[in-house]
Parts: sequence; C-alpha cells; structure tokens
Amino acid sequence: MSSKETTHFGFREVDKEQKATLVADVFHSVAGRYDLMNDLMSGGIHRIWKRFTIELSGVRKGNTVLDIAGGTGDLAARFSRLVGSTGRVVLADINESMLQVGRDKLLDQGQQGTIEYVQADAQQLPFPDNSFDCITIAFGLRNVTDINLALRSMLNALKPGGRLLVLEFSKPQNALLSKAYDSYSFHVLPIMGRIVANDSDSYQYLAESIRKHPDQNTLRDMMENAGFCQCTYHNMTGGIVALHRGLKP
Amino acid sequence: MPSLPDPTLHTAALAALEVATNRALTLSPGGPQILAPFDDHVFAFHCTAPTLDCYLLPSHEGLRLTGVYDGQITTSLTGTASDFIDLAQAEDTAATLVNGGLSMEGNSAPLIELQRVLSALEVDWEAPLVDTLGDVAGHQIAQLLRQAFSWSQLAASSLVRQLGEFVHEEARLSPPRLEIEDFYRDIHELGLRVDRLESRTQRLRQRLQKLRS
Repeated sequence: MSSKETTHFGFREVDKEQKATLVADVFHSVAGRYDLMNDLMSGGIHRIWKRFTIELSGVRKGNTVLDIAGGTGDLAARFSRLVGSTGRVVLADINESMLQVGRDKLLDQGQQGTIEYVQADAQQLPFPDNSFDCITIAFGLRNVTDINLALRSMLNALKPGGRLLVLEFSKPQNALLSKAYDSYSFHVLPIMGRIVANDSDSYQYLAESIRKHPDQNTLRDMMENAGFCQCTYHNMTGGIVALHRGLKP
Repeated sequence: MPSLPDPTLHTAALAALEVATNRALTLSPGGPQILAPFDDHVFAFHCTAPTLDCYLLPSHEGLRLTGVYDGQITTSLTGTASDFIDLAQAEDTAATLVNGGLSMEGNSAPLIELQRVLSALEVDWEAPLVDTLGDVAGHQIAQLLRQAFSWSQLAASSLVRQLGEFVHEEARLSPPRLEIEDFYRDIHELGLRVDRLESRTQRLRQRLQKLRS
C-alpha cells in the first residue's frame, strides 16, 4: 500500500504531487482556445457571472486587486478600469501558457500600466501579508490541490476588511436542471472540446472536476474555517455557478 | 443562506441596458464626455414592485449600471415601477420628485441635471446605418425611419389631445386639468391654514395652562 497522500483529479485518485502537473497539462492544452470554448460552453453567460463578481467586489479607484487563476484576464481587464491609475491589479496564474495568452490579450486591448503579471501558486502566494483590498478566483479553486491551504494563503494576502470572491461551478438546486446539466457536461462538452480545441480529455476532466468540487454550503464552511467572516454565497443560473464572498476580519 | 435571488437575469438585463445606453451616448454629439460632471456620483433606484435595485454610475467614460453597490450614494429613490416611469416621462422632474409617489434621500440636484442631460440626447442613428449599408442606402433608410418616427410622434400627440378633449368635453368623465390644479391648490392652502390654526390653538392652550398654574 502506498504511503503517499492522494487527491482527486476528476474522478481519478492521484498522488497529491501529481495533480498540479496533470492540471497544468490540461491548461497548456486548452490555453489557445480557452476564451472561445468558454463562450461556446456557457453560451456567453460566463460574462454575466463575471460581471456580477465585479459588482460584488466593491472595488474602487485606488484599490489593489489580485485575480488568482486569472487566465485570459477577463476580470483583470475590468478591475484595471475600476481602480484607475492610482490602483493596482495583479493577474496571477500558476500556468505559464494561460498567463501568456492573458498578457497578450490584455496588451492587444491596450490594457497596460496598472496590470502586473505573476506566475504564482494559489497555495503559496508570493505576496506580503495584508497586501490586497480584494482577491478574486474565478473557475480556478477546484483545480487547486489543497483548497484549505489556498484559502489560508489568500486570507494572509488580504488587508483586514478585504474581500475574497470565489466564482466557481457548484451544485444545481433543481433536480431536473441537475439531470440536464449532467447530460450536457458528460456528453456534449467532451465532443465540443474535441471539435473546437482538439482535446476531449480536458473537457471530460472539466465535467468531472466540477462534480468533485465542494458544494455551496461546504465551501462556505471551508472559508469560515480558514478564518474568513461574513461568508455568504449567491447561486447563479440555478446553482450551476455560485459566487462566494468572505471578508478578512 | 443566499441573500439575493438568482442574479443572472438581473445582471444580464443591466448589462444589455448599459451597452445600449453607452452606444447611444457614443452616437450623440457630445459623446460620453457629457457625463463628466457626474464623475463620482452614484444614483440608486430601489423599485419595490417589482423588487429590483439598480445603481447608476455615470462618468466621463460612459454609464455603468450595477445591481449591487456598497459605497456612498448621491441620490437614492424608492418607489414602484409606475412611479419611476412617471419620473422618466416628466417634463418637470423636480415637481415629480416632490409630488410623485417616490421617496427620495440625498441630493436631488445632480439627479435632476442627469435626467435633463439624458433626455436632451440627440442620437445620430444615421451614422451606424451608413457605416453598415453605405452612404446612399444608409441615408435613405435613415430618412424613412425619421419620417416614420416624426409621423408616429405627431399621431401620438394628436391622439392624446383628442382623447383628452373627449374625456373632458364630450364624455365629461373628468374635470379639466386647470380645474384639478385649482382644486389641489385650494387643498394645499387649506392644509396650510389648518396647520396655522393648530399652532395657534396649541399656543392658546399653553397660555391657558400657564394662567391656571
């Protein structure tokens, strides 16, 4: 029997050390078509989910914001406009390919100056304590090997009173919607991934990783256990996605 | 427990409205810059029936609409959807704010000014048509649309006038507007007199109590 600790990678049990490499491979593979696939898979609704995240962030001029697993920079671009020239936005992603795609996209849009790009692991954020007014992580937390460790690391990086916003797939609240969503995730998504991104395995992993991710109440409890206060969540699109928010005391 | 109902639809509707408004601002002669005087102002609209919150954040870059806002509010209005429709259509915004069904908190002056600026927008709808269809076809279609719009405005105002005449003069279902305004002015005056009388009575009562003691 192996003494190594294991975790899930989709429905598979893998060594904890192996998960980061496997997730990295997924995102190296899909980085180029990431935005297109997001639009196709969600019918563009991911933009609405992200917009609501921005609204709830309460970010103002002069704030410092960290967007973890920032991927192709949808949130960072919007935050950059909100914080203005006196603020600071850090787009962090553990994956080099995603960071490269995000940086190229934002530079092409003329977003420069207030956005910094950092390749960083959410579990060990390379920032001094009490650095940020707001931290967001959109569709990234479920890929982190140790979610509790990541939440504690985010708590440290936040200023007292700062907000953490976690936008992530969650558990649909309606049984019928849940069945339709399962069917869509396990049958349509891999085919879509094969046709558009030439990679069905990554989208099979996407569907599986969503099912393994903690549901709304569990994630809220995890945030509270990590030290966040006033933790709440908002279900969106029937609970397919949930936005959790917590404050650093 | 979640404190808001599913915000997806609400957020999507606000996003669509924001895009449309900013497009209209871009097509107006002054552009989004006309909103520069409202930088850092936030207007809150709380609709009670149906329950809906909307925050307007104008700036020199355009208009931002959100369903959630935690900061300081310049002007906050609360009322039903019909109250807000009345305000949007009002010729005299100040009078509607005072006499209408809306309850207001904060400074009304920036809101009245914003309403004036937005209602005075002259949107050049011809520009996107010309960009898409070319100079000749775009101009012709814009001309047709302008004529249709102008005719519908005339028809609408004529209908409203004739309907008003019918209601007041022919069917005698309601007194004329001036008569109603006179009536309300009398009520207002009567209210003031009653208030004055009440103050006098109060004063007399106090004097009487002093004399007795």
